[in-house]
Amino acid sequence: MTAAPAIEVRGLSKRYGASTVLNAVDLELAPGSKTALVGANGAGKSTLLAILSTLVVPNDGRARIAGFDVQREGVEVRRRIGVLSHRPMLYEDLTPLENLLFFSALYRVPGAHARAEAFLRLLGLWSRRAEPVSVLSRGYHQRLGIARALIHSPEVLLLDEPETGLDGEGMELLDGLMLHERSFTVLAATHRVDRVEGWADAVVRVSHGRLDIDGGRPRTATMAG
Amino acid sequence: MTGAAAVVRKDLMLLWRHRSGWLSAGTFATMSVLTYSFAFDLVTDDVRPLLPGVLWVTFLFAGIIACSRSFADEVEQGTFDAMLLAPIPRTSLYVGKVVANLVALLSIELAVMVMATILFNTTLLTVELAAIVAVGTAGYVTLTTLLATLGTRVRSREVLLPVLALPLLVPLLIAGVRATGGVLDVPSGDGPWLLLLVVFTIWSAAGSALLFPLVVEQ
Repeated sequence: MTAAPAIEVRGLSKRYGASTVLNAVDLELAPGSKTALVGANGAGKSTLLAILSTLVVPNDGRARIAGFDVQREGVEVRRRIGVLSHRPMLYEDLTPLENLLFFSALYRVPGAHARAEAFLRLLGLWSRRAEPVSVLSRGYHQRLGIARALIHSPEVLLLDEPETGLDGEGMELLDGLMLHERSFTVLAATHRVDRVEGWADAVVRVSHGRLDIDGGRPRTATMAG
Repeated sequence: MTGAAAVVRKDLMLLWRHRSGWLSAGTFATMSVLTYSFAFDLVTDDVRPLLPGVLWVTFLFAGIIACSRSFADEVEQGTFDAMLLAPIPRTSLYVGKVVANLVALLSIELAVMVMATILFNTTLLTVELAAIVAVGTAGYVTLTTLLATLGTRVRSREVLLPVLALPLLVPLLIAGVRATGGVLDVPSGDGPWLLLLVVFTIWSAAGSALLFPLVVEQ
């Protein structure tokens, strides 16, 4: 028996009024693969990620994460995904530790305090764990956003312009994570192909709601627009 | 319900740390009662017939101010989407938000009732009145919390909430005023006002809990 694809998209379409953002796209990613979605603003990258993360409902087609339908089995899908966008999605009046403990509680992470501590130490935030997030720099916000996205050990990581706002050290951390970590599948939307060349197995170009293999080694990603 | 408990705990912590939203609701309620106390003193000796209206108008507008803030900060910081990404039923998030709003509003209302007792020289801190206020508050908080969610994707959300909420809250306002009048020995008609208040609250809570998952989907 073969394992279910980490991400499986069939005939997925999304329209906002008369504007078609995604036009019957297909995509299949194997577990552990790392794929970059590149394209101009408004090409449909973020919409595809939003549908996969259960925040947006498609008009047609279906999408599955680890075999679970994103529309019908939303709770199971959300248990298996981590999402990092250009916004770190943090409570600015809570401390880094309180933020991670809150999201750990939502995900029912066992040993939450120890895990949060490990992340804060890894990301260089332990010494600032008791300060409100609002006083930390943008770079620290994004690092903490990485911890929030990974606190529950997701099987699939969805990244939407993750490099936005990261400082040099934060970018190195993210690149290192992408290069060496094989425990999760990654689908990353980005403007900058140079940012993903080091770790992406395949690059998928999104243009006018269609997908095209653009480069890299497409063994882990199959698609049809 | 672990998710709901986590949301309640987080929201109360944020309310304590970031008090501006609730302070503006509390300040509005205080100023409102204070203004009414000066105005009515001039025209009548017996203010009891006016008190139910004073209290419920104050509660309602303070509640709308407070509930609109509870989602505005979440949207501005992107944390509303972060909560929607959690693997818990979305109704749990709604329950958590409602409970946190309810705790904060009941605190404001208690302060208003203490102040009104002093300013209007009428005993308002009775078990019967507390029960009516608690049921009515639950009714409008469940509805305004849902409607505040509707406005999260809209730029003019500050305006949208009162426009949507106030017409829908008219039955609750009438029932609340009449039931409160009954407790204060003010002629309030023979209608089953408390029953209407309870029915409205149950309808509002059940309907809003069912609609919330649909409202947050795009």
